[in-house]
Amino acid sequence: MNRIKAASILLVVLLIVFIVAVQSGKIFGSKVDGTDSSEEIKYTATFLDIFDTRTEIVGYAHNETEFSNQAEIIKERLVFYNNLYDIYNDYDGLNNIKTINDNAGIAPVEVDEEIINLLKFSKDMYKKTNGKVNVAMGSVLSIWHEYREYGSDNPERASLPNMAELQAANEHVNIDDVIIDEEAKTVYLADPEMSLDVGSTGKGYAVQRVMDYCREQGMDNILLSLGGNISGLGTRIDGTQFRIAIQNPDLSSSEEYIEKVDINDGQCVVSSGDYQRYYVVDDKVYCHIINPDTLFPSETFAAVSILTDDSGAADALSTAVYNMTLEEGMEFVNSLDNVEAMWVYHDGTKVYSEHFEESIVK
Amino acid sequence: MKKNDIILIAVILVITLGGLASMAFRQKASTEDTADKAYVLVKIDGEEYGRYPLDEDRQERIELPDGSYNVLVIEDGYVQISEASCRDQICVNHFHIHYAGDAIVCLPNRLVVTIEGGEENDIDSATN
Repeated sequence: MNRIKAASILLVVLLIVFIVAVQSGKIFGSKVDGTDSSEEIKYTATFLDIFDTRTEIVGYAHNETEFSNQAEIIKERLVFYNNLYDIYNDYDGLNNIKTINDNAGIAPVEVDEEIINLLKFSKDMYKKTNGKVNVAMGSVLSIWHEYREYGSDNPERASLPNMAELQAANEHVNIDDVIIDEEAKTVYLADPEMSLDVGSTGKGYAVQRVMDYCREQGMDNILLSLGGNISGLGTRIDGTQFRIAIQNPDLSSSEEYIEKVDINDGQCVVSSGDYQRYYVVDDKVYCHIINPDTLFPSETFAAVSILTDDSGAADALSTAVYNMTLEEGMEFVNSLDNVEAMWVYHDGTKVYSEHFEESIVK
Repeated sequence: MKKNDIILIAVILVITLGGLASMAFRQKASTEDTADKAYVLVKIDGEEYGRYPLDEDRQERIELPDGSYNVLVIEDGYVQISEASCRDQICVNHFHIHYAGDAIVCLPNRLVVTIEGGEENDIDSATN
């Protein structure tokens, strides 16, 4: 009798184990909603509330929750930089670039180290590009910003700023008046009429810092795009390279992409062009990239794309090269290590730097 | 064996078999459901607004409470925004989309149109 009892208890235990195993999907490795898939699947997350642009995170995970958690970590870091590098909005208890601008000529502002790092990087890029990228030209850029906003809202009354106004503002763009005190962790604008606009470096620099952070955290196989500043960490899950399409600046063309490139671990792609942020005055397109020499939008190229291994540099260099002639830009790009460029003219003609074509998908 | 033991074993057997059957059923249902059929997913401010099959032609006027709008057109397996109230018109100028993961975004109206499932493209992201 005891033996039968023991056997029945054993049977019950086995059955319970079996039920638990089945319910958790282990025995059949099934892929019912909410359970793990045995291999990692590709996911994409899109956010619209960072840097006034579209953020896209591509990654791999066993399930949606796992991916969302990873995307949230990345988003949180991006929001941190968004708030720091904002020139239009205040945030409670946070000194950002706007705070520095508001205190121009008044007082040094104590800021987070990442603002100091960005400004040091931006000064570096100013030197490297011979002044073609200047984050201290906020006074000039804000005039164009105003005219562009008004002109977009009221197309029939769109107009151009006058040269005298631009030249007067251009008296207050000296990057040496951006005084950084690394010990006190302060930034001071010595010219009360000047302001910072980090539009040419902020996004790219933030992407680089966030990707560095992801790498430190041991993440892998991630592609981050912040308004077209694209940066890759590792490869696709199958070990092949991430493949990036470069948007055709001619929006009336039937070809959406003008080129496709495969990028290595840590490589970045970014394009600057006149086809997205612009306004129209008397049937002529005026884009958001203002040449520091002419104080007017550059118009030689429809787009310039940069391929390199630092997203901050990619961002700044694409603006700089867009503001150069082809000859200047070609010489400049070919003089830099690990920097390649593609120029696209308005008629669709493409010109490549020395090694750009090696990355192109045949 | 006591009568109670037999009842217990019987109950457990029924639960197990029932669970197995329902798993098998759900598995079948989910594979049929996602048999790579492509959908056009419309989100506003991160919230799902609508989901439409990519293989059915349709025109959908997406209206926001403040009067702003986007007109979504699905035609021959391609999706585009034909008209919108936003001032930058980036969504209208955007190329039509077709492949899994492709997206059209209207930043002013907080609208994201993406394609879920269906034909895969060979690219992972695109500059803009």
